[in-house]
Amino acid sequence: MTQPMRVLVAISGTEDPAFVADVAGVTDSRGRPVEVTLVHVVDPETRAALGRGASIRSAPWPSRTSGATDRRLEAADEEAAAALLETWRERFAAGLAADVTLLSLVRHGRPEREIIEAARSIGADVLIVSARPHMGPDEAGPHSLGHVARFVTDHSPIPVLIARHSR
Amino acid sequence: MGSDSLVLSVDRVERSAHLSCGRAAQSQGRETMRTIAGHARRSSGPFGPKLRFGDSMAPTALTSAAPLAAAIFLVTIGLVIARPWRVTEAAAAVLGAGAMVLAGIVSPADAAANVAGHWNVLLFFLGLTGTAAVAERSGAFEVLAGLAAGLSGGRPRRLLIAVVVVGAVVAAVLSNDAAALVLTPVVYVIVTRFGLEPLPYALACTFVADAASLALPTGNPVNVIVSDRLGESPAGLVPILLPAAVASVAALLICLLVIYRRQLPARSPLAPRKGSWASWREIPRPLLAGFGVAIAAFGVASAANLPLGPAMTAVWLFLLALERFGGRKIGPAEGIGWSLIAFVASMGLLVGGLSAAGVTSWLANLILGSAHDSPVMAMLAATAASALGSNAVNNLPAAFVLADAIHGAGLPAASAHAAAIGTIIGADLGPNLTPVGSVATLLWFVLLRQRGLVVTSWSYIRIGLIVTPVTIAAALAVALLLGAAR
Repeated sequence: MTQPMRVLVAISGTEDPAFVADVAGVTDSRGRPVEVTLVHVVDPETRAALGRGASIRSAPWPSRTSGATDRRLEAADEEAAAALLETWRERFAAGLAADVTLLSLVRHGRPEREIIEAARSIGADVLIVSARPHMGPDEAGPHSLGHVARFVTDHSPIPVLIARHSR
Repeated sequence: MGSDSLVLSVDRVERSAHLSCGRAAQSQGRETMRTIAGHARRSSGPFGPKLRFGDSMAPTALTSAAPLAAAIFLVTIGLVIARPWRVTEAAAAVLGAGAMVLAGIVSPADAAANVAGHWNVLLFFLGLTGTAAVAERSGAFEVLAGLAAGLSGGRPRRLLIAVVVVGAVVAAVLSNDAAALVLTPVVYVIVTRFGLEPLPYALACTFVADAASLALPTGNPVNVIVSDRLGESPAGLVPILLPAAVASVAALLICLLVIYRRQLPARSPLAPRKGSWASWREIPRPLLAGFGVAIAAFGVASAANLPLGPAMTAVWLFLLALERFGGRKIGPAEGIGWSLIAFVASMGLLVGGLSAAGVTSWLANLILGSAHDSPVMAMLAATAASALGSNAVNNLPAAFVLADAIHGAGLPAASAHAAAIGTIIGADLGPNLTPVGSVATLLWFVLLRQRGLVVTSWSYIRIGLIVTPVTIAAALAVALLLGAAR
């Protein structure tokens, strides 16, 4: 059995729905099975800063930043990540060929590093990231790539496709 | 700091008090001026009769104890900020207050009188922290944040505006720290449900907590500490400070919308179901009614110039009774800010020591000496001093020292009133200027990191440098327009 072509698609949440059409354009692999993995990275840094800041600010006020609050924020992040991936999974399921296998993956940490790690760990053949959504093809640059897309392009061990949302 | 400046400051004090001799005669002169100004409420305001030793024995020039008193104060503030060996703020302040007594700068009897003199402020914080804890347990914060989510209709820009408005109401009614510490995590949860980046909203929450805290006496401990020390009626300041707070919140909102003009998408990535927000119905009906009654009763009590400490404590006990009646078994002391109370009591004593050593009146001349007869200048000088002081130390000690300095400066009534308002504006809005202890700055750091920017100390404090002066300017402009310095 031939190895499937493994495509890793990074989802931050801000992508345009037309992203799907861009991915569909490159997943026609002439008979070879295709496996598309959607990865979303939860960045715990905001949550952590909130906790650190609160511990500075709270005293001498009664401390309300208990472990319960931290767990609540973490649960909210997990829930949002799951909901986001589910939404995009449905979009991809509708927009890609029927025989494409769809998988989802949540990772935690700095998005730019985690996406590279995810590509390594699933043995991806190609990595797809999105340019900033409000930049159309006519106005690519400057700053059409976000920090994460730039880092990923720079550090990826495999080919990177930058989707620009065909309209 | 040579002897020249000392001589100059003594000279200023003498001119300012319109007298040329003696400590007793000067303080007598001050009393006379106050009576002439017709501010009867100054001697027994809503915070009760004054029992401060500082009033009778504050020297007008630095005494020989001044370097020691200043050193004790600065070391204490250093401990409060750096918190080495897990020393809490309250413990550091108590240690510092103890050192003032041990060093003989404040006698044990004076120390007891000082703490007792703050009875009203201390009761106020007891009631306020207790009330905030009841509100938190009732789920009111989730309901308010849910209201913001519902109003936004899933539009990120509108959600930001709604979060700022809700944060402003919470900060004004239940204190800035309730908004920053309790509301921010709740907002974080809601924003992530929309699939949005929580950072801009968390930053908005921490900024509005300070921007709106001017509005009411309950908004910020500083408001009560300054009005208490200067014998101002906290309710009497509301007609000026409430519009000033509205102006500073509006200015903050404009800043945030400009800063985030590109970052907020037109629509949120996720559309949460309608029923996913907490609703008013989840708060027990009697407790909900109790909140309404408590707010109305407290408003009437403060308008009638009743002592706010007992009034706030009564509000807390009333809500606690309703909570227990509703079947919630929780210790009454749950959520009380004991460490805040210890911190405020000790800080009052530390500043009492500074006052006894003549340091605060020396500062008063430095800051307010040239602004003596001009209320506008007094207000601007007090605002600048308290805003900068809040960043150099921490806003509570800064407000304490400045209030004491204004009290001892023997300003005409109009200038003292203007300086009190200036101090409150500076100490409420100032703290976000630099990174010292500011949640907003930590979040800003994360934001820059996420955008892949190398963080220099300049960009680190930039958002504070934008927002803080703008909000202060807006609040000052409105206060001046309303005749705060006339």
